[in-house]
This record gives sequence, C-alpha cells and structure tokens, in this order.
Amino acid sequence: MFELTEPQKMIQQAFRQWCENELQPKVEALEKAEINPFDLMRQMLDAFGMRDAMREGMKRKVQKMREKGPVEDKKEEGLVEDKKEEGDPDDPMEMAQRDMMIPFTMIKELCRVAPGFAMSFGVSTALAGGTILSKGNADQIEKWGVPINALDKVGCWCLTEPEAGSDAFGSMKATAKPKDDYYILNGQKTFITNAPYGEIFVVYAKIDRGQPKDKQPVHAFVLEKGMPGLTTGKPFEKMGMKDSPTGEVFMDDVKVPKANLLGVEKDNLRDQAKESLGNERSGVPAMCLGIIERCFEESVKYAKERKQFGKPIGEFQAIQLKIANMYIKYMNVQNIVYRLAWMGSAKKRDMAFICASKAYAAQAAIEVAMEAIQIFGGYGYMKEYHVEKLLRDAKLLELGAGTTDINLLTTARILLRD
Amino acid sequence: MKIGVLMKQVPDTETKIRIKDDASGIVVDGIKWVMNPYDEYAVEEALRIKEKKAGSTVTIISMGPKRSVETIRTGLAMGADSGILIDDPALEGADCYATAKALAKVMEPENFDLILCGKQAIDDDSAQVPQMVAEFLGMPQAMVIDKLVVSDDGKKATCYRRIEGGAKEVLEVDLPAIVAAEKGLNEPRYASLPGIMKAKSKPFKEINLGALGLKAEEVGAKGAKLKVKKYFLPAEKAPGKIIPGEPEDAARALVKMLREEAKVV
Ligand SMILES: Cc1cc2nc3c(=O)[nH]c(=O)nc-3n(C[C@H](O)[C@H](O)[C@H](O)COP(=O)(O)OP(=O)(O)OC[C@H]3O[C@@H](n4cnc5c(N)ncnc54)[C@H](O)[C@@H]3O)c2cc1C
Ligand SMILES: Cc1cc2nc3c(=O)[nH]c(=O)nc-3n(C[C@H](O)[C@H](O)[C@H](O)COP(=O)(O)OP(=O)(O)OC[C@H]3O[C@@H](n4cnc5c(N)ncnc54)[C@H](O)[C@@H]3O)c2cc1C
Repeated sequence: MFELTEPQKMIQQAFRQWCENELQPKVEALEKAEINPFDLMRQMLDAFGMRDAMREGMKRKVQKMREKGPVEDKKEEGLVEDKKEEGDPDDPMEMAQRDMMIPFTMIKELCRVAPGFAMSFGVSTALAGGTILSKGNADQIEKWGVPINALDKVGCWCLTEPEAGSDAFGSMKATAKPKDDYYILNGQKTFITNAPYGEIFVVYAKIDRGQPKDKQPVHAFVLEKGMPGLTTGKPFEKMGMKDSPTGEVFMDDVKVPKANLLGVEKDNLRDQAKESLGNERSGVPAMCLGIIERCFEESVKYAKERKQFGKPIGEFQAIQLKIANMYIKYMNVQNIVYRLAWMGSAKKRDMAFICASKAYAAQAAIEVAMEAIQIFGGYGYMKEYHVEKLLRDAKLLELGAGTTDINLLTTARILLRD
Repeated sequence: MKIGVLMKQVPDTETKIRIKDDASGIVVDGIKWVMNPYDEYAVEEALRIKEKKAGSTVTIISMGPKRSVETIRTGLAMGADSGILIDDPALEGADCYATAKALAKVMEPENFDLILCGKQAIDDDSAQVPQMVAEFLGMPQAMVIDKLVVSDDGKKATCYRRIEGGAKEVLEVDLPAIVAAEKGLNEPRYASLPGIMKAKSKPFKEINLGALGLKAEEVGAKGAKLKVKKYFLPAEKAPGKIIPGEPEDAARALVKMLREEAKVV
C-alpha cells in the first residue's frame, strides 16, 4: 500500500519528465504572467493523450446518464461509505479516475515545480468541472463539464465574497432572483482562481424569493463569459501562487437561464458545496507533498555539496537535525496521501481525517520550505534556487480550501459530535 | 509491417554509480531503471512507421532480469503492441556477443520486416549488439541513423547518418534490415495515460533458455568472448577554471593557458 503500483509509477515518471522538460523552464514566465498557463495545460493533456480520452470517456458517461435517467445522490458530512457504482473495466480513463493515487501523483509532480500551475489546473478540472460532473444533468455535463475538463474552456469555482470567506454560506450576499425563465444574479465574488481567463463560472448564490436571508437556499449556477452584466476584475498581485491568475467576478443583473441551475431548486446545495470543499481539501495534501518532497530532496543534495568550515554542511549536527525533521514531515504527509488515495478509491469519506490532513500538510509544507531556505543560506533566498517560490506558494495552502483554523475547528466539531 | 524493437533497461542517466567492494560490478540497490534513451528513439520511430502503414505491429524485445518487464511496459504504454522478455539465470554475465546471439535467436522465428534499436546502451556504451545481431540474422545493417524513410512498398529503407565535416551519408538497405537510432531521429512521445492503463493487458511473453533453444554454454558468462576483470570509477576531474574579464582579454588569457599550461596549441 505504501508503494506506487506499476501504472502509478509509470505516470509518476512520465509526469516528472514532462515537468522537468516543459514546465520548469517556463516557471519564471508563468510567474510573470508572460505566457498563458492554460495553453501549457492543454499541451500537457495532449502530451499524455488525456484530452481525447477525457472527451471520449465523458461522452460515454453522458450517454449512460441519458439511458438511466437522473439519480439521487446525497451525502452527509462525516464518515460515509458511498455505494460503489459499477465501472467500465475496458475504459482506461475510467480506471485511471477510480484510482485516486493517479491524480494525486500528477498533482504532486506538478507541485514539485509549479504549485500555482497545478492549482489553476485543479480548479478548472476537479473543482469547477467536478461540481458540474457530480451535480449536473447530462445536458449540463455535455455543454460545460466536458469543455472545462478537457480545458477547451477555462473554468472557475466562485464561492468566496469580500465579506464571506470562512463563513462562506452564512455571510453570502450574492443572490439569484427567479423571474420568468431566468434567475437574475447579483453580487461580487473575490479571490477567484482563473477568473482573469474565466470562460465558465460555477457561481454559488442564494435564491431570493423574498424570505429572510438565513432561509434562502444556496445553489450553484453556471455562468458563461459574455453574459451581459458578468465582468471580471484585473488579476491580483499576490505573495505566491503567481503562476495561478486570481481575480474578482462581478454580477450586475445577469440574466441566467433556468437550465443553468445545477441540480434541482428544492434541494439545498450547501451540502454539495461542502462536498466540493471536501474534494478540494483532500487534494491539498498531495500539493503539499510535491512541495515537501522537492524541498527535502534539494536540501539533502545541497547539504552534501555545500562546504563551509572545510566540510560539507551536512556534517554539522544543526543541519542533520533539520534534515531529519524535514524527513519526518515528508513521510507523514506521504503516508497521509496514500491513506487519502485509499479512502478515495475505496469510496470511504472521513471528513475529520480530510480536514485534519489538510491542516497538518499545509503547515508541514510551510515548515519544510522554510527549513530548506535556511539550509540553502543566502542562496535559498534567491529565485534561482526555486525553494523560495515553493515557500511563497506553500503559504496559500493554509488559506485556500478553508484556513488552517477552520479545518481544525471542523475536525474538532466532527470528533465531538455525538 | 512487422517491426521489432530491441530495448535495454539501463540505470537512469543521473544515477550516481557506485562500484561493488570486490570490483565485480556496480551496486544496483536504489538505482532507478529507465529505457535506454537511444532505444526510446527506436520505439518512437517504430510507432511512427506503424501509424503510417496500416496493419503494422510493433514488438519490443529485451534481454535482462525480471525488472525489465516494467520498461517493456513503458514501451507498450507508448503504443507498442506486444513485448518479449528473455530472462534466465544462465544469461547473466553475457557480453555483446552472447547477448546478440540470444536476441537473434528469439527474433528468428518472428520474421520481422524491420528491426530498430538504439545505437548503443548508455550503461556499457559498447555499441556492438546491433551489428552482431545483424550478422547472426544475415541482415543488412544501418547504424547511427538520424533519419529513416521506409519505401511505400515496405521493401527498402533509406537511412541517413551524419559523418565528419557536417556531411550526410545516405544508405539504402533492402528490408528486412536492422537500423540503429541516433539522437535526432525523432522526439520520443510520453507514455499516454490511456496507454499506461492498458499496458498490462497487452500480449507479453517471457522466454527462458529452454524455450529459446540455446544451451547454457552458448550464452551468458559462459558464451561470452569478453571477460570483465574489474570495474573502477574514473579518477575525479579537477574542477574547471573560469576566466573572468572582458571577452577579448579572457580569450587572450585562455589561449595563453592552452599554450603554456595545457600545451595543446
Ligand atoms: C490565491 C487564492 C485563490 C483562491 N481561490 C479561490 C477560488 O477559486 N474560489 C473561491 O471561492 N475562493 C477562493 N479563495 C478564497 C479562499 O477560500 C478564502 O481566502 C478563504 O476561505 C479564507 O477566507 P478569507 O480570506 O475571507 O479570510 P477570513 O474568513 O476573513 O479569515 C481571516 C482569519 O480569521 C480566521 N477565522 C475566521 N473565522 C474563524 C472562526 N470561526 N474561528 C476561528 N478563526 C476564524 C481565519 O482562520 C483566518 O485566520 C482563494 C484565495 C486565495 C488567496
Ligand atoms: C539579501 C541578502 C543580502 C546580503 N547582503 C550582504 C552584504 O551586504 N554583505 C555581505 O558581505 N554579505 C551579504 N549577504 C550574505 C549573507 O551574510 C550570507 O548569505 C550569510 O552569511 C550566510 O552565508 P551563506 O549564504 O553562504 O550560507 P552558508 O554559510 O553556506 O550556510 C548554509 C547553511 O549551513 C549552516 N551552517 C554553516 N556552517 C555551519 C556550522 N558550522 N554549523 C552549523 N550550521 C552551519 C547555516 O546556518 C545555513 O543554514 C547577504 C545575503 C542576502 C540573502
């Protein structure tokens, strides 16, 4: 269980090669926003034959859905064992998607080099795409799910608002007022990954039929670039994750057809959004692992090569203790990722473990990246040595997908619940 | 066309080689094994020919220990159709001659129209196996090829090779023939995700000495014409010198050093 299987290893090696050859040389240009990250993502998907395979696979999924008709699928927070749906053993893409260690391995490899690039990719495909795939009907999947998963279009997932961050649902101000065949959406979303390039927006808003705010159900809508009243702000300047464009989304009386509502109006999508958060959170430790693994490896190499006071600095106990402590965190996070992969593949959901893992892994990533810079001395502070980027990027992992505090509090709330 | 590709599993190019205490070989623990880079060009070229000529098949053939299966499967994940591994304890210690003998024997009944391979394996760097295989099979050979054109009727191949002075030598061979790839022949593809997921279900056979129809004396260390006495690492190179200053002054200083210190000009 603590070793990659042969296909996982092959994917790991192929992605490592791609990242070293194609991604690493472009990190600087990505960070300066000189090149379009989504073009590079498309090249990546094509290099591995994934775009065509995805389109094919989803075509089959849509067809199956149309044959079967809609299914109710409700999940609760906490430990829930999903019923296993029967898969298609002849479909290689589906086999790959059922094995969570495969996406985790890809994420990890990308994050050794460019965590922001990985985040933008994950937000369009897994988060925005994933929400449409799990909650949308066949038409919606065909129209929006397929293009944002194959990255023909760039997807965004819009929950956070200027005054609704950790309390995303309670403080949400965005509204959708039903009118004829439409909803009229108003509100502002901020910190939205991919917004500057966004083409398909999954937007959460409260359905306002005149009832008090706390009684208004939260739902997800699909908005498309070009809808009158939908605009985006200019990219934010950030501390890290500069290779992931972030921006605001404004909705000013946007007329959204009823067919753009994900799910049916009566059920409250709050749980569903939380479920997406669960998915997002369980992907974060894999991102952290990429950062940690790279920082650890670079540090070990540097400690053996760098000489001061006549010997390699790795011979000083001060450095040895750092290396050992980094290794402990590396192994802990690696073990967590294996466990999360096993949980994902076995369809076991344990929200307390997911939230606790996310909180731990993000902190570990920051600590390990910080230590790597220390081991590199002044060189670690320089862009050329890459670990400074990994530190800047690591800090975001304590903020996005729920802050560390919020993840810890959710963990405790589940553990203390009777 | 029926295409065979010879493939060897070798240590990753970034491996730090360590020698065994008794100097009888290298320490293999912890080594990351990969497809010989020149063989990647061969696999890629085979796949490109297959894509152009409907009905073609690509078979990967390797001699080596069990772990070589993984590298064969990387070739299958890139798009090859089947794999053959020759694996037997008696094959250990083979030199190029004994290796070529076993490879030729296994390929004989396959009747390939074209055999592709790398110009050399980056572990031993012998660059002899392809030529010997060609000799055993009585086939024409074209070595160190960076451009290959197979005729429409599949009966001839035109092979290009760089020679000294920047010129190209053009060889025309009748097929079947064996062609060894040089860097530049193509840009190898990555194993695709669907390919990786399907690799395990592709035909793969393992052949031991008995099935091969060779005797233990003919192969491995016993059949080898070359005996390795010992392995040792090259002496550590002195660090390079950086000559600072304006290009003109630096060039002048360099020439002076080449003349007076290195005594090469
Ligand atoms: C680069 C980047 C990309 C992002 N991408 C997206 C995206 O694509 N889509 C999206 O919807 N959002 C996105 N976000 C938003 C992100 O999810 C929020 O920043 C996050 O949820 C925190 O909200 P906030 O920034 O408003 O902080 P606040 O909620 O204001 O929190 C401030 C501090 O108060 C603490 N705090 C808040 N409530 C409590 C409490 N009850 N108990 C204890 N402590 C508490 C927090 O832990 C934190 O330390 C992104 C953010 C960034 C920085
Ligand atoms: C932005 C910036 C501005 C600077 N400005 C100046 C300046 O104006 N003038 C100037 O002269 N210098 C300047 N420096 C250089 C700075 O003083 C050095 O970076 C610092 O002394 C560390 O040296 P180093 O980077 O070579 O790291 P190293 O000495 O190589 O240290 C690498 C690691 O090994 C550890 N280590 C080394 N020896 C031992 C030991 N014996 N026992 C235990 N651990 C050990 C260190 O603590 C560190 O963790 C600057 C550096 C930066 C980044």
